[in-house]
Amino acid sequence: MISKNMAEAVLEKALCEGADFSELYIEDTESNSIEMTDGTVKDAVSSRRHGAGIRVFSGTKSAYAYTANTSEKALLETAKAAAAALECAGNTSTALFEVKTYGAAPELAMGDIDNEARIAVMKKANSAARSYSDDVKQTVIRLMETDQRVMICNSEGVWAEDRRPRIRLAVQAIASGENGTQTGSDSPGFSMGFEVFRDKIDPESCGKEAARVAVTMLHAPECPAGYLPVIIDGGFGGVIFHEACGHSLEATSVSKGNSEFCGKLGQKIAADCVSAVDDGTIAGEWGSIGCDDEGTPSQRNLLIENGILKGYMIDKLGGRRMGMAPTGSSRRQGYSFAPTSRMTNTFILPGNDNAEEMIRSTAEGLYAKKMGGGSVNPLTGEFNFAVAEGYWIRNGEILTPVRGATLVGKGSEVLLHIDRVADKMWMAQGVCGSASGQVPTNVGQPRIRVSEITIGGKGGAL
Amino acid sequence: MAVVGFEEFRDKAFEAAKAQGCDAAEVYYVESERFTVKVLEQEIDSYSVSKSEGLGLRVKLAGKDGYAYTELLDEPEKLVARAADNAKVIESSDDHPMQTKCEYQQIIQPENPLTELSEKEKIALAKELERRCLEVDPRVKRVSHNLFSSYSAKVKIYNTLGLAAENSEKGCYCYVSPVMEENGEIHEGMSFRFGAKSAETKECAEEAVAEAAAQFGASPVAAGEYRVLLRNDAAADLLDTFSGMFSAERAQKGMSPLAGKEGEAIAVTGLTVVDDPLYPEFPRAFDDEGTPSEKTVVVENGRLNSLLHNLKTAQKAGVRSTSNAGRASAASPVDVAPSNFYIVPGEKNFDELVEQLGNGLVITEISGLHSGANAYTGDFSLLAKGRLVEKGTAVRAVERITVAGSWLNLMKNIEEIGADLKFGIPGGSCIGSPSLLIKGLMVSGK
Repeated sequence: MISKNMAEAVLEKALCEGADFSELYIEDTESNSIEMTDGTVKDAVSSRRHGAGIRVFSGTKSAYAYTANTSEKALLETAKAAAAALECAGNTSTALFEVKTYGAAPELAMGDIDNEARIAVMKKANSAARSYSDDVKQTVIRLMETDQRVMICNSEGVWAEDRRPRIRLAVQAIASGENGTQTGSDSPGFSMGFEVFRDKIDPESCGKEAARVAVTMLHAPECPAGYLPVIIDGGFGGVIFHEACGHSLEATSVSKGNSEFCGKLGQKIAADCVSAVDDGTIAGEWGSIGCDDEGTPSQRNLLIENGILKGYMIDKLGGRRMGMAPTGSSRRQGYSFAPTSRMTNTFILPGNDNAEEMIRSTAEGLYAKKMGGGSVNPLTGEFNFAVAEGYWIRNGEILTPVRGATLVGKGSEVLLHIDRVADKMWMAQGVCGSASGQVPTNVGQPRIRVSEITIGGKGGAL
Repeated sequence: MAVVGFEEFRDKAFEAAKAQGCDAAEVYYVESERFTVKVLEQEIDSYSVSKSEGLGLRVKLAGKDGYAYTELLDEPEKLVARAADNAKVIESSDDHPMQTKCEYQQIIQPENPLTELSEKEKIALAKELERRCLEVDPRVKRVSHNLFSSYSAKVKIYNTLGLAAENSEKGCYCYVSPVMEENGEIHEGMSFRFGAKSAETKECAEEAVAEAAAQFGASPVAAGEYRVLLRNDAAADLLDTFSGMFSAERAQKGMSPLAGKEGEAIAVTGLTVVDDPLYPEFPRAFDDEGTPSEKTVVVENGRLNSLLHNLKTAQKAGVRSTSNAGRASAASPVDVAPSNFYIVPGEKNFDELVEQLGNGLVITEISGLHSGANAYTGDFSLLAKGRLVEKGTAVRAVERITVAGSWLNLMKNIEEIGADLKFGIPGGSCIGSPSLLIKGLMVSGK
């Protein structure tokens, strides 16, 4: 993307006011997005993002400057702007190592595929959703592809390049009738090329799954409120861990004392049956990266082992504040964001419990088969999640599907109240928004049970 | 080919569009500069300066629109080819006309001397804001977020039908979140100011600290139906979440419960909602497809008067565009978006509303809007904070409750509308509301 000499000149310019570290990030990302509403292609958009970001540190002070213009002149000016922010002493020179290349081109790259092939996939998903039930009145299907190429080099000599192809099919089915309107979705994605539709994603089952959820919820009564046991399924159920715990384990929160898990390494923060990791190395997974956005190779980070806090997710700056080494967890949406600690593929590890037993042994509670989105206050760990597909349990059996449920609680309390973890784990895809923008992440867990949690809903007794 | 300037790229793209058989072409170009400083513990925590530019191209080919966007102005022919490829797959039969040459009103931006400040002075303001928070109350231990940001942006829209629209704007805002601690309880407040008021660090700090202080001793309330006073900022957040219902684009796609309801009563007669792109605080001369700005009364005395339209939805509905074409970014296709969209204020101040509430809840903050609110149906179930009110007086703080209901029912259950119109943090759209007294909402607690 840029010559070694030019990169070195830019890194040195960024050090001219005495910073002790400089970093150059260049991004070139192509993307395509097609949207189909009710089986008709309504929007097709292509874009190319291109620009550079320059970051400098002096101790734990940092400055970031970015530009869409990557000419030598613009890069040097941007380096100067970043440097000017820090008033400090000291000088360092820069010599880059040999380039280390991480991700490679996918088997079927974006440029090798034509729009007809894309639309054929989308139509399959659409007809599967429409033919599932007459209750399905609308569908919205999107196919999103990106191919991100990044180059990161820094004044410590790191020079890394990564290529991150990603593809996602998002199917939403809208069912409506006398009982109002309900939506269901299924949106699998991978860090792969178009071969994903041969190897991993069956568009018809996506369409069917989205329709199934919408139709089931259409005929479901409103969920009653309560403070009861909740069984949360795997896949997107992992969002509860992502939001209520994962964000609080990011150096972004921990290094500034904004996390309830500050200073708790080695302490018990979860029930004994809970172990969890963040693993960016799993080939082809949606949240995976070859190297992070500081050029550090991706790694598998143990976060919790048998309830004991074992590690955080740390970027360089957070590491400086915390006196700890980076963990390959620094990410950013693109060049317009300074990177910071983020999750990749984050999940609770399989346990020893039986998935059926945990329903049978629940007298009254909620089975959250599919979770919706959520949010959390990292300071207090208070969270709020929507349940996209829920069922009421009574006397160990599923009584009825219920709609409109939300789960409200505190991350630290919920982790301690997990009393069952089943033996099979699976993941689902999300796009996580935080300080360094939107990044693709996987959430995951086996089916788990939380012994008590606040269930929000507006329904009466069932 | 080498990177060129906007004008040269535009002209070459228009030539290429013609050569590649397009009927028309339009460019939407944004160039911006931004400065943001975050200060924590009187040190610069992060500092960011940027220059960005991007060009969105839209071509019309056999009646269909195709889009392509680039931040590298190097190959106009290739960009046109990508946009044309995208146009070829569009199956929707809706025609989306392009705007032609228009005259625009002269816009006077509100005065803001702060945009002329040096970076050092902006950093000093951020430091002052943090210091003020710590001075207000000894229970303030630190601030978790504290920033000052200023920006300038230029938008240029040109097309082969003669449209030529250019606009530039400057602005700034500050934002602070103090963290208070006492007896093991931790609470966070938040406040922001924009425009010339971003220098009012004292007021901003006091408001944020008061917000945090009011949460001490908070606990849930028993589940049940409550009379609820949605404070102006919480009401604006809720209106923001459901503002998409008023989009004709959504309605025509069958994704708004307000589709086909023009002329019908959808709210209490006291409710009037307007969209006014010329609202003096954030005025603009034209929308994102170059249509001159016009004020629209969306809900008039409880009756749905008009949805928000761009040129496409207006043509389909047989009406005029309400100057609400919006693009989420230069890379996004033309959609519909509110401009300055707000509930017209009533006469009572906040204290009078609390008194009228009698027994019930004041909701000061709602969260989880992107997950607990269904923008298609209007149903919501949201984490909330606020205060319990008995006999017109706040008796204690309330947290970890969810309020659940439906936006459609809420609009019919407004008992009183306050005088205290407040806008949320401005983005592409500015959404504002006064405090709203609601007859009843379901609340679940513990």
